[in-house]
Amino acid sequence: MENKIEISDLRVHYGDTPALNGISFDVHPNEILSIIGPAQSGKTTFLKVINRTLEFTPEATVEGSVKLDGVDIRTIGDVYGLRRRIGMVLPLPVGLPLSIYDNVAFAPRAAGLRTKSELDEIVERCLQQAALWDEVKDRLDTLGTKLSGGQQQRLTIARALSHQPEVLCLDEFSIAIDPVTTMRIEEVLKTLQKEMTILLVTNLVQQAKRLANRTAFFLNGDLIEIDTTDVIFSDNPANQATYDYVNGTFG
Amino acid sequence: MNLYKNFYVMNAMSTRAERKQKIVLPSTPFFTLGIAAGIAVIPISNALKKTDATNIQVVSPNALSMLLNDLYIVLSVSLLAILLGIVCAFYLEEWLPKTNWVRRFIESHVAVLTGIPSVLYGILAISIFLSYAGTLKVINGAPAAQDTGARPFQRHTTLFLGEGLIFILMVMPVTIKTTQEALRSVATPVREAAYALGASQWQVLTRHVVPIAFTRMLAAGCRAMARAFATAALLIGTYIWHYTAETDGMSSRFLLFLGAALFLSVCSSTLVEIHASIYNSDSA
Repeated sequence: MENKIEISDLRVHYGDTPALNGISFDVHPNEILSIIGPAQSGKTTFLKVINRTLEFTPEATVEGSVKLDGVDIRTIGDVYGLRRRIGMVLPLPVGLPLSIYDNVAFAPRAAGLRTKSELDEIVERCLQQAALWDEVKDRLDTLGTKLSGGQQQRLTIARALSHQPEVLCLDEFSIAIDPVTTMRIEEVLKTLQKEMTILLVTNLVQQAKRLANRTAFFLNGDLIEIDTTDVIFSDNPANQATYDYVNGTFG
Repeated sequence: MNLYKNFYVMNAMSTRAERKQKIVLPSTPFFTLGIAAGIAVIPISNALKKTDATNIQVVSPNALSMLLNDLYIVLSVSLLAILLGIVCAFYLEEWLPKTNWVRRFIESHVAVLTGIPSVLYGILAISIFLSYAGTLKVINGAPAAQDTGARPFQRHTTLFLGEGLIFILMVMPVTIKTTQEALRSVATPVREAAYALGASQWQVLTRHVVPIAFTRMLAAGCRAMARAFATAALLIGTYIWHYTAETDGMSSRFLLFLGAALFLSVCSSTLVEIHASIYNSDSA
């Protein structure tokens, strides 16, 4: 089986401060891989490396390689095209200061799509997938920033889906969303799994347990353990720290 | 325990070399201003010598042409200064990294120039007007400029440059600083989100940053101009108060400047209000 993403010996430093100390693992196609770990363990940095937004942090240096479909992402010339292949949902809900419709249509438009009917179709599909369509279908032209926090978070999910990414990265997507809606989105993620690979960074270990096929445990920039979710959440994972973290007896 | 390792490293004191670097560049304005003050001493002392009230005769040109001249100078120069300031702020904020020495050099100077009380600019302006023989007054009985604003749009070139320079000095730093603040107010998450959607730098700037920052940038320009107008009005007001005779032209100028300053201040605060009502509304 061909791997979707291959990470080998990835090291990231912010100035002198290490963020990732040489991690290596593979991401299989069409799996949900959840990444768990305490704060400062390099989860978000890892996602930023994948879509190359870490380049905006001037003091950050990246060593090692990340291959998407066998191609090193740093050799890809069209970085904007690369970012469109990777959907990213950031932890804070950020409605771009545009109308709801334009928020979702932004990425397709940036990619050059202009046909009104196609855009309409994409907007409706993405908003439905993000469980937001019913709440906003009558006011698509209001500002995205006027929505409530939870709605904005779902808007960011719709936006990330709008350019039909191959890899969907979710960074703490459920912080601002109520449990019922979270469940609805989790169901959507399970169906989306057929079309794309999903990387799920989460602080809710139970969410990882519910959703993920495999789970990786990061600690202080090291990959402690990666295995199927069943093994990580069993009574005997390979590393004691994993067991402690998952069962809440850490530290 | 080693969970907090990085936290301590990040908060560690800066090294000696870094501290040195942090002090040297920001202190350059002291030297620049020192040199500037040294140069300005000559015209200022000249001006003080010549403003012996008994030697001054007031020429009262056509009031309308004076107003037109003022408007002409103020509008053209401030437009130039504001445009330059905005372009400069964009370059500093969006293209140069924070650590770039050019950026730090300019920013420290801009900070000092915005901090100078506007009356000091007024004194500098007076010294230039008086020593280069203004159109308002004939000093020591020797008329320096014969066509004292008799026709609109025809001015003494040196004087025009002097006024323009002062105006640029007053308007541009304020514009740069407030525009930079406006650009910085566009939250990083918005930019990150747009970049993550595959937008290019140009798309992020034109579709997100500028639309959000636009009203605040406009307000910045208004505020800068209001400051300059208020100073001019203050000076002219002092002049009227001192020389009560022959003040027809002067009082209309005073009213023009004062009115413009008031109008622009109101514009500026209204624009800020509008900006806040659009983007900072409580959404939760």
